[in-house]
Amino acid sequence: MKSISLYVDLDSPLHRLDPLTKISYTLVFMLIPFLIPLKSITLICLGLTLSLLWLGRVIKHIVPIISFSLFLLFTIFLIQGLFHPANEKVAFSILGLTFYQEGLEYALGLSLRFINLLCCTSIIILATKPSDLIQSLVRRGLSPRFGYVMSSVLQIIPQMSNTTQVILDAQKSRGMETEGNLFVRAKAYIPLLAPLVMSSLVSANDRSLALEVRAFNAQRKRTFLSEEKVTFTALIFRFLIFFSFISSIVWRLKQ
Amino acid sequence: MEMIKIKNLTFSYQGQTPVLKDISLSFGNSPTAIIGQNGAGKTTLVKLLKGLLKPTSGDILIQGRNTKEYSAATLSRNIGLIFQNPNDQIFKNRVLDEVMFGPLNLKYSIKEARKKSLEALKLVQMEDKIDCNPYDLSLAERKLISIASILSMEPEIVIFDEPTIAQDYHGIELIKELIKKLSKEGKLVITITHDMDFVTEAFSRAIILRDGSVILDGTIREVFSKPDLLRKSFLEQPHITQLGEKLNLAQTILSLEEFIQYFTTVS
Amino acid sequence: MKKVIIEGLSYKYPLSSRLALEDISLTIEKGEFIGIVGKNLSGKTTLCQALVGLVPHFYHGGFRGKVEVAGMNTMNYSIAQLAEKIGLVFQNPFNQISGSKLTVYEEVAFGLENLGISRPEMIERTENVLKLLDIYHLKDRNPFEISGGQMQRLAIASIVALKPEVIILDEPTSQLDPQGTNEVFRAVNQLKEQGITIIMVEHKVEKLAAYADKIILMSEGKIVDYDRPSNIFARSDLKKLGVKTPIFIQALQSLGLDKKYPGGLPVTLEDTYKLVVKEYGNDQN
Repeated sequence: MKSISLYVDLDSPLHRLDPLTKISYTLVFMLIPFLIPLKSITLICLGLTLSLLWLGRVIKHIVPIISFSLFLLFTIFLIQGLFHPANEKVAFSILGLTFYQEGLEYALGLSLRFINLLCCTSIIILATKPSDLIQSLVRRGLSPRFGYVMSSVLQIIPQMSNTTQVILDAQKSRGMETEGNLFVRAKAYIPLLAPLVMSSLVSANDRSLALEVRAFNAQRKRTFLSEEKVTFTALIFRFLIFFSFISSIVWRLKQ
Repeated sequence: MEMIKIKNLTFSYQGQTPVLKDISLSFGNSPTAIIGQNGAGKTTLVKLLKGLLKPTSGDILIQGRNTKEYSAATLSRNIGLIFQNPNDQIFKNRVLDEVMFGPLNLKYSIKEARKKSLEALKLVQMEDKIDCNPYDLSLAERKLISIASILSMEPEIVIFDEPTIAQDYHGIELIKELIKKLSKEGKLVITITHDMDFVTEAFSRAIILRDGSVILDGTIREVFSKPDLLRKSFLEQPHITQLGEKLNLAQTILSLEEFIQYFTTVS
Repeated sequence: MKKVIIEGLSYKYPLSSRLALEDISLTIEKGEFIGIVGKNLSGKTTLCQALVGLVPHFYHGGFRGKVEVAGMNTMNYSIAQLAEKIGLVFQNPFNQISGSKLTVYEEVAFGLENLGISRPEMIERTENVLKLLDIYHLKDRNPFEISGGQMQRLAIASIVALKPEVIILDEPTSQLDPQGTNEVFRAVNQLKEQGITIIMVEHKVEKLAAYADKIILMSEGKIVDYDRPSNIFARSDLKKLGVKTPIFIQALQSLGLDKKYPGGLPVTLEDTYKLVVKEYGNDQN
């Protein structure tokens, strides 16, 4: 396992778009359905986001993410359909339970917004390389130290799982049983913790020394190996995003 | 009874190319060094001997017990493995407790476990540190503690994984003495190492692994008199042997004593 | 030209009661290859850390004396500023990888990004250094998925990219197999040929003796001796000080040749061979 992330490594117009544009899109188009709570608007946002994901050839990776939330959505429908305060008109009845129209409509609105939220954040999660994202933030003022912590965590945690395996082997070799009932297996964790913490601390200490001698704490302006290509299309796109955002606020204020 | 018998052992991690291919070996009591470049399969072989991994095909018998039928924890009664990095196992905050962990797992009474642990600590010359916190000791001292914590379990077979790394001259001498002592007691000592000088000074048999197969298995003298084979396995002869080779001496020199002997008899 | 000047250096770690370094004074000339030997805990690593400023700036503790590297007094400059003059490669290749970069190429450029080097120069230096350390073919690989020897060469490359005038290596081969060890020594020798001053802590005395111009022998925080390898390794108290005598010298000593050549015995395989041939003639068969 090289690093922990759900990023799908492809080349697509969506992938090539710079991180800042994608972040702005995600934030704005997550907010618009809340600013303008019309189902039609939410559907438009959702449609737009899904098209982008299709453009990015990552749309099939959305399916597991959405399926996970299906249970949650089902309970929303259940609860709102049965107990929403404004319930009056009956929609249908099953097994003696009465579902009302207002509740179901409300649930639909909520669910659409929720799915839109998932799809928008997927633009970041599936189609933006974590290191590019973090670098984009560092370029614009995020503390490089914080940026380093964020990007190194993605690789160092999987490496720690290798260490855990070694420690487990070492303790098994000293007669510690790991197979058996739950109690036996739980007891097996105790001799894992101290060595794991120790070795992580030692590694972290060694690593901070190595970072120091590579000028990590230099008081100069940092430069970057990769170039952030902001295309003309991206700029237009950013303008459109901004425009949509302002329009939604204006509409909201007019209410 | 043979200490270890390996029959047609093949091993691969899930669905990947075999790391070890059809290996058959037997071990008696002679201290043996397993050598070969990184990736040749040495660590995997040792894990299989310990029962931490199970063979994909073939069998390994540790003092008659087939590793497929026992857990690594149960086999630790017969065979002990001293891991390379002591930080990967130390978790108690008193040296004596750390060394007693093993025998207590083997269900010895506290009194017996304590006795065995003190003896083990004496063997590594750490008996004056029993109440110390292992993390207050140096890396080399912690290495000796990890050796003691295996010896306190009194296995008949002891495996060292790279014992000389990060040890200075004094530490290496201590380990060599320890190996001699254990061998004299009839225990089988096996080591994985890159230190060829260490191999010739403390072991009588060497097995070269390359790409998962045994390339050569013989006495120290047999193995180290084949510089071409060693070179192909990315290994070197011990330094004194290299000198002997360069001087074109009539026999392979394995130690300083042999070198001196050669020159006093010849000149 | 002196690249390193140390005067009266003494140092104590914060929670310790004893001195890790006691009254160290020495100088190192440009282009020299200096080896440091001594038993564990004799102060070798602390000395290395004092040269790059980790002592005192990272560890704090009690510091006395002066350490000057390439004209810079380590007390007056930050570790990052010193990093452009003097670099340090550590023992464990794994723990030197930053973890924040996904390719070997980016990993090498990491230090250059920190120093604000312009992008064209960054690319030029990275390419050069990858080729110099013979890891160019690995440039797109993940840094965690290469061998130990390759990882250590990556660590060296990341330091060399900063173009220091002095490079210190603290037991760089201790975790490597013979092939990896040879790769590192070969790489370091190439750096020396480019005029970089090298300081190396090592236990593999036969290899060190073959490359070093001078050896610093340390014990209990003090410098016991600082001389050419042939003199250091001929000392009779090496065993007491916890240092191995190179086997070649042991061989010549056992033949009584140290008495015949009090000026110093050869320390390399090649030179030992020549001496034995000279003494005993050619027909060894």
